[in-house]
Amino acid sequence: MRQTLTQELGNLIERGRDRQLRLAVTGLSRAGKTAFLTSLVNQLRHAGLEAHLDLMPAAREGRLLGARRVSQPDLGVPRFPYDQGMAALDAEPPHWPDPTRSISELRLSVRYRPARRGLLRSETAELSLDLFDYPGEWLLDLPLLDQEYPGWSRNMLAGAGEQRRALLAEWESVAAKLDPAAEANEAELAAIATLYARSLQAAREAGFANLQPGRFLLPGDLEGAPVLQFFPLPAIADADPATLAKLPRESVYATLAARFRHYQQHVVRPFYRDHFRRFDRQIVLVDVLGALSAGPERFEDLSRALATLMQSFDYGKRSLLSRLFAPRIDRLALAATKADHVTPEQHANLTALLEALLAEPLQDLRYANIPVKALSLASIRATEAHQVDHQGQRTPALRGTTLAGETVLVFPGEVPAKLPGHEFWARQGFDFRAFRPAPREGSVLPHIRLDVALDWLIGDKLK
Amino acid sequence: MSDLPRQTQGDDPQPARHFPLDEADAPDPASPRPRLDFDSQLPTQQLAEESPSRAERDLEASLGRPRKRRWGLLALLGGGIGLGTAELALRLPETLLGGDWLSGGWQLLGLGAIALGAAALVREAWRLRRLKRHDTLRSQLACLPQADTAAALNLARSLKRQLGLDDDHPHWQAFLAACEPHHGGDEVQHLLAHHLLTPRDREAQRLISRMAGETAVMVAVSPLTLVDMALVAWRNLAMIDRICRLYGLELGYASRLRLLRNVLYNMAFAGATEMVSDAGVELLSLNLAGRLSARAGQGMGVGLLTARLGLRTQRLTRPLVFGDSEAPRMADLRHELWQQLRHLDEPRKQSK
Repeated sequence: MRQTLTQELGNLIERGRDRQLRLAVTGLSRAGKTAFLTSLVNQLRHAGLEAHLDLMPAAREGRLLGARRVSQPDLGVPRFPYDQGMAALDAEPPHWPDPTRSISELRLSVRYRPARRGLLRSETAELSLDLFDYPGEWLLDLPLLDQEYPGWSRNMLAGAGEQRRALLAEWESVAAKLDPAAEANEAELAAIATLYARSLQAAREAGFANLQPGRFLLPGDLEGAPVLQFFPLPAIADADPATLAKLPRESVYATLAARFRHYQQHVVRPFYRDHFRRFDRQIVLVDVLGALSAGPERFEDLSRALATLMQSFDYGKRSLLSRLFAPRIDRLALAATKADHVTPEQHANLTALLEALLAEPLQDLRYANIPVKALSLASIRATEAHQVDHQGQRTPALRGTTLAGETVLVFPGEVPAKLPGHEFWARQGFDFRAFRPAPREGSVLPHIRLDVALDWLIGDKLK
Repeated sequence: MSDLPRQTQGDDPQPARHFPLDEADAPDPASPRPRLDFDSQLPTQQLAEESPSRAERDLEASLGRPRKRRWGLLALLGGGIGLGTAELALRLPETLLGGDWLSGGWQLLGLGAIALGAAALVREAWRLRRLKRHDTLRSQLACLPQADTAAALNLARSLKRQLGLDDDHPHWQAFLAACEPHHGGDEVQHLLAHHLLTPRDREAQRLISRMAGETAVMVAVSPLTLVDMALVAWRNLAMIDRICRLYGLELGYASRLRLLRNVLYNMAFAGATEMVSDAGVELLSLNLAGRLSARAGQGMGVGLLTARLGLRTQRLTRPLVFGDSEAPRMADLRHELWQQLRHLDEPRKQSK
């Protein structure tokens, strides 16, 4: 206890001096959080030596000396598996780091030479950067905190499109027969909840993103507990809240509502309180290409999921007081990941499409006067950009190895600058292939524009 | 109420009137046009960009540079030179054969003068062409952020030629090493600015600070107003030329004029401050140390103006426009300048 108090105090002093940043790496599952963090650690560790961080002024001017992993503040949380990630990339054949199944944390101490030497400044300075990784599925639970069971139940069923409804049909046919006023039958509820979880899994396989509750997809140690046995009730869609509130405690409705509240209070809130409340900077990673390949309905779904998600963060200007006691995000980067899966001249379109996808939250951020930068990046570049002469024309192309291990030279297709209309989807659609990481040459990972993102997120503290 | 028809007054409401039906059909040219329905398959054109109104065109014509060529004068000049050359050349063998050495010498001299003038003209035309090329490069570099990778690299190569770097120059090699195929125009611009221009910026900065300091010191120690003014003119022009050479860019005509105006202004300042400080010293009958300090102050003023001129030249000649935060500031130079002058002033004070 005493140790934590000292640590808290140390943190507080560091924060007061503005020498500590907490970076929120936000992204739904498969957006590339783990790859981003692995690459970020790798680049910062090799900064000043062989890392290519030329678009980051501090590194370009030779002032960034490198970074070291230091012991993290919260000893109860596992360390971010950087070495495992690197091992995966070094394997024969190389593969992407395994999806994150639980939460992990990492503190980096970034050392740099200040640009201006003052009386009070020493020759080198340090910035501690707190990062952490978590399963993207859990992130989807954050918007649950502001909702009540009946409202959530309605939201879950109302926003669904055609394809998603088809996936939920089996569960819905059973759940619709359930009478909210009837006495709850444990076994029956568990069976329906399993069915619900299975249809959520199926929806995720099909590429949908806005799936709540997130623990149904990745229960961790809560597997089989009654707290994970609830689901939206179709029968209460247009019921009067007052009559619902009067239902007895043993009724189906009251049982489900109680489990929802328990889930909210004991699963989501600690996660939010311990990890999501205090951030200074945020990067939102979005797999735009994946959503584009999956079709318009999933694209909309992703847009909705991200919009609700970003409401869970506090944005605002920082001051000394807010830095110490109520940290707020004062700078934000939106990144379309996997930019190496398209040819370089499409990167501008990719960024434009990302802005279109996040149009709703962007308006709020502009209103709050938060600086936002949208960019396209590839944390770990898996392909090489080339040009080929095809039918008398010079066409850009990518050389890479697909997940199946086949080496291809391909022009992956153009990315639209805005979401195309329905006729286009019916006619053509998109199909961006996934590539596996290239075998590593040298100790530093190749990347696209990770240096720009880093500069935007922490560059102003390295002055 | 009487039921006699009342006489209508001017502002009374008008009584009802009836008209024949066909009279109402005459269309009023000022009324809004009724709806017209078109076949939706009809081919359409984009709305043409609005052509400028007549007044605008007139204004533009009157504002444009007056393109008045003095054809008559040119013809006279050209004809005179041409005929003169022909006459000199044709009569040269004759006079030489005739043994009239003096007029032969004069003819040779005239021909030489014409040749020199022609050479100067050709050189000037050549420099004008180079200037134009520099201007084009500068405006192309201004649109670098919108360019794609291949175009950006081409521009980078022409900038390299402009700066007079060869392929093995370490700065160019560092740029090539930093550049990656996925970098877009704005990223290439950042790298270019850092790898090719920042070293030259630093050199220009050093040059400005040194020349400003020298000018300040010279003005501070020189006793005569005229000498001050000449010094400032000489040093300022030399500085402008050296900064221009550093960036491999020669100034455009308009910017050179503007800079020269600055030079003249600086000279005027040097002259005026000299007189003011002299008058002030005599009026207040200060001692020599005070006089020296006043001179140091004058030197400081001239130095600062020179430094400002240097910075302005740098801004005008740098191939890539400075970003928001990277432009050099006066504040950095002011301190150095004052240090140099203090060194100059102190030993004199002590010896006094």
